[in-house]
Amino acid sequence: MRGPRKLEVWKMGVVNYLDALKLQEKLVSDRKICKIPDTVLSLQHPPTYTVGKRQTDHNLLIPMSELKNIGAELHYTQRGGDITFHGPRQAILYPVIALREIGFGARNYVEKLESTMIELASLYGVKACSGQKGETGVWVEDRKIGAIGVRISYGITSHGLAFNIDPDLKYFKHIVPCGIANKEVTSLRRETVTELPAEEIIHEQLISCFARLFGYSTITWKENPLILSDNEEIE
Amino acid sequence: MLWASRAASYLRISAFHRGFSTVLKDLKYADSHEWVKVNGNSATIGITDHAQDHLGDVVYVELPEVGAAVKQGDSFGAVESVKATSDVNSPVSGKVVEVNEELNNSPALVNSSPYENGWIIKVEMNDAGELKKLMDSDQYSKFCEEEDSKH
Repeated sequence: MRGPRKLEVWKMGVVNYLDALKLQEKLVSDRKICKIPDTVLSLQHPPTYTVGKRQTDHNLLIPMSELKNIGAELHYTQRGGDITFHGPRQAILYPVIALREIGFGARNYVEKLESTMIELASLYGVKACSGQKGETGVWVEDRKIGAIGVRISYGITSHGLAFNIDPDLKYFKHIVPCGIANKEVTSLRRETVTELPAEEIIHEQLISCFARLFGYSTITWKENPLILSDNEEIE
Repeated sequence: MLWASRAASYLRISAFHRGFSTVLKDLKYADSHEWVKVNGNSATIGITDHAQDHLGDVVYVELPEVGAAVKQGDSFGAVESVKATSDVNSPVSGKVVEVNEELNNSPALVNSSPYENGWIIKVEMNDAGELKKLMDSDQYSKFCEEEDSKH
């Protein structure tokens, strides 16, 4: 029906939020003109709170002046979804892919992102599921283990998913996570009895689940790509 | 597995022929799934039934300012559904003369009535010739079928 599809994976370690955002903007432009194949960034962020297009910063429960004291930044973005936290030991995937080539709309795409995290959780014996209506994300009973916030422009995706391996969950106490009160946030470490391998392995497993679910036949890995020169180009 | 997904695609297409996703005859369509209804120099714009179905429940619509310029193929606003913001592109170039304020209170109108009460903006066109670049209802129906068969 269609030819083999190629995915390029950038393994990036810990990346500042704004650097990752600038990089995604460039990749989206490049993908739009078919200069690059479908690409996914695999990374983690330093402690960072982000809000989506609806700017729901009323769900930040501490004054902005407090953020510096707890070592966190706050960023306003164009993605869908409410307020969330990103930090070390939380695996993030930012796929920059052309949805029109697979005939996907937002709903199918997000469902597949949920399935990616559900599959990863199952590798560790954790039974996760997607949320009820209006509660996009991945849950273990009523504890949230994975979040999604996406932007689609000219059919090209940016932002993506965040899966809690073992982040410091105390940071989530300073927000109403995803705007949903009275629901806990959890992590793979908390939910599994299995001993967790090195994080790099979990990142790779997450990427494999993603690649399989989205039907990619070839994956190329790019380790520690230099993004500094890209930043200079953009200015 | 492959047989099952082929069968599913076929069934989806059959369901489409039975009018599962509506396409209206007298409108013009862009390949990013927006429709335009032309009345003289005035264009009413929204997203199609196919688009709203593929988006999921719309919870927020970002509208442009009245007076803003729009360009054919460029984004003028966005809709949010299932934690995804999707840009909405204008099928024509011109000036925004009216926006559907109802969508601020009832964004779900985009889902329930994509061609009527869920209209998004009205534009005063500055180049009616651009309409030639758009699809008619038959072409758009075929386009949707082809897109849906890609997965």
